[in-house]
Formats: sequence, structure tokens, C-alpha cells
Amino acid sequence: MALPWDLSGIDGGPLERELLDGKTVLVVNVASRCGLTPQYEGLERLQRRYGGDRFTVLGVPCNQFAGQEPGTPEEIQEFCSATYGTTFPMTGKLEVNGRRRHPLYAWLTATPDADGRAGEVEWNFEKFLVTPAGEVTARFRPPVEPEDQRVTAAIERSLK
Amino acid sequence: MIPAADVRIGDRLRTRLGAELTVTRIDPGFMDREGMLAFVEDSDEQWLKMPARLGADVELVRRPGTGT
Repeated sequence: MALPWDLSGIDGGPLERELLDGKTVLVVNVASRCGLTPQYEGLERLQRRYGGDRFTVLGVPCNQFAGQEPGTPEEIQEFCSATYGTTFPMTGKLEVNGRRRHPLYAWLTATPDADGRAGEVEWNFEKFLVTPAGEVTARFRPPVEPEDQRVTAAIERSLK
Repeated sequence: MIPAADVRIGDRLRTRLGAELTVTRIDPGFMDREGMLAFVEDSDEQWLKMPARLGADVELVRRPGTGT
């Protein structure tokens, strides 16, 4: 996934392009204090199952859903690694909806979900699958678990 | 606290984690769950969403035109 925008990593420095370029990327807005936060486990299993030169999960911390990601970048990073052992890259906090949303999300949210609905991210842990060519091929709403067959099938189609 | 069903556009609410929003929109559903709605502030100040069960109470910080 080659992007025309620079992204910051959770550590505050630029997110290294090699982490995304040439890969299928599952972009997920995440939060540490949400009922869906255990989805980190499934996301990390996806990373271990498919991750490498051709696939990665990309976590995007966002505090726009009931303020459920209130921590500092250091706190978020510590929470993810200590609680869920995450190894996939994370951006700095981004806004995914509204007038100040990051251009990445202006682009992603133009893609409809399986019911044909595009537009705003509904809640934490919404998932977008982007091919190495930069095509958004699938959008999964928050209740769809990371290891749901629909997600893994879309990843495997992109990796073929 | 007021019933979620009584929230109006313009009300200032506080989430359980302390974030505040001034309601500019009330969505009639939330993630296809029955009996839920979502309050949204979509303004120049911020975009923030707070879901609630219809039968639940929510914390009202301020209501325009009242002393609340």
C-alpha cells in the first residue's frame, strides 16, 4: 500500500514507508478502553499468520468514539504490547471522522461496506483492506472479528 | 442524569470516560443493535460519538436556554 500522505508512527517519528509499501494492509482504528478492545488478539494473530513481506495490520489509535482512547502515545503503546503482545505497526492518534479527519480516512471511508454503506467510520475497530496497488477492496464494520472468514478470505484473495 | 431518549440537539453530554460533546445529531441506531441510539457532535470543534441504550440515563452537563 503506497500512500500519498506521510503518517506518523506511535513513537512520534515518521512511519517508515517500508512497513506498508508493497503490502496488503488491514487498516484498523483502535482504542484501548472499548468493549471491542479484545479484537487486538485476533489482529495480532492475523499479523503472525500473514505478516511479513506481503501483509501487515496497521493500527490507528483514535479518540473520537466516546473518548475511549484517552492515553498518550506511550500509554497506548505500552497497553498494546503488554496486554496483547502486538507486533504490528501503529500510527499516532488520528481523527477518522469529521472536518479534521486525516486524508487517509477521507479516502478509506469512500469505500462501501458489504451492505453498500460508505461514509463515516461507525465505531472503534472498523477494518479496511488495501491492496499493494492502493485499492480498497473490503470494509468490515466493527462487530466483524479480525479472524472472521470474510476477513481472512479477502486477505488471501489479495495475497494470491 | 437524564434519560437518553430525552436528549435534544444542543445538549452538552459527558461520556463515562469524561469526554464531552455538544449534540449536533442523533443517530437512530448503533451498530445494528436494538434499542440503541448514538449522539454525535460534528462541529468545527470536534467530531465525537457517544452511543447509549434508549432506556439508560446519560450525564447532562448543560442544556441551552436553561440553568442546567
